[in-house]
Amino acid sequence: MQFKKLFQVLVLGGAMVGAVAATACSQANAQDKAKKPPADAGTTNSAGSGVKGW
Amino acid sequence: MTSARAAAAEAWAFRARVEQEAALRFDRLAAVVASFDPASPVPAMMRRAADDERRHTELCARLAGNLGLQVVLDPEATPPSIAPRSLDERQAALYEVVAACCITETESMATLTTLVAAEPDPEVREVLHSISKDEVVHSRMGWAHLSREAAATDVAFLAPLIPGMLAGTIDEGLFAAAPADEDPEGLLRLGVLPLEQKREVFLGTLEQVVFPGLEKFGVDPEPGRRWLARAAGC
Repeated sequence: MQFKKLFQVLVLGGAMVGAVAATACSQANAQDKAKKPPADAGTTNSAGSGVKGW
Repeated sequence: MTSARAAAAEAWAFRARVEQEAALRFDRLAAVVASFDPASPVPAMMRRAADDERRHTELCARLAGNLGLQVVLDPEATPPSIAPRSLDERQAALYEVVAACCITETESMATLTTLVAAEPDPEVREVLHSISKDEVVHSRMGWAHLSREAAATDVAFLAPLIPGMLAGTIDEGLFAAAPADEDPEGLLRLGVLPLEQKREVFLGTLEQVVFPGLEKFGVDPEPGRRWLARAAGC
């Protein structure tokens, strides 16, 4: 039994599934914010923080 | 009927009931998790997992039937939440996901991997393969949820609750002597681990996969380790 491989596939693989989705969400949010009119341009910090967080 | 055949029939019948319960649990948890983490991929994974488990129920029941034991399932079964009542809804969902996926499905994967490698009968092998393909995802969705919750909130409350989860995954005979008439080769051919191997897989999976995984996401594994040392008589 290769427990080390199980750890990688299940635990680390699972963490990636959760993180990838969070990243995709952050990117989608960033894209949504980028589409907003110039009056909302002051929010670039929050759009950037999502990417930085990733 | 040989002792191995009778034991395997019981084991597959038990699995059919467990798979049915898992399907209902995942359906319920999918809705709960979506309510507080709508961006999570886990609810969609859980809904697919529920469908998988319904398919597994049929596969396990069919194998039990082929071994001479007809499985009667209660279509109205509604497994209750296994979480302590003191937890709020979000904590209770995490408790159930960790118990059902991070521990139970991870242990299942280790068991299935061992069984497939043991050259079971062709029909059994086909079922084990089919189930193990899905169980990888079911275990991962638990770790995915725990990792997201660890990033969003405090998950340390789980640590003292891990022994209770572990106790629920074993029967009291796990650390006892094997039955005198146990037929290890016959059991392996029919998709059941002999007691000694079952113990090895259980211990190895906890020590090398589950406990390190919990620790990685901020859940202290020490209470679980202490429970294991007592249970195993180490």
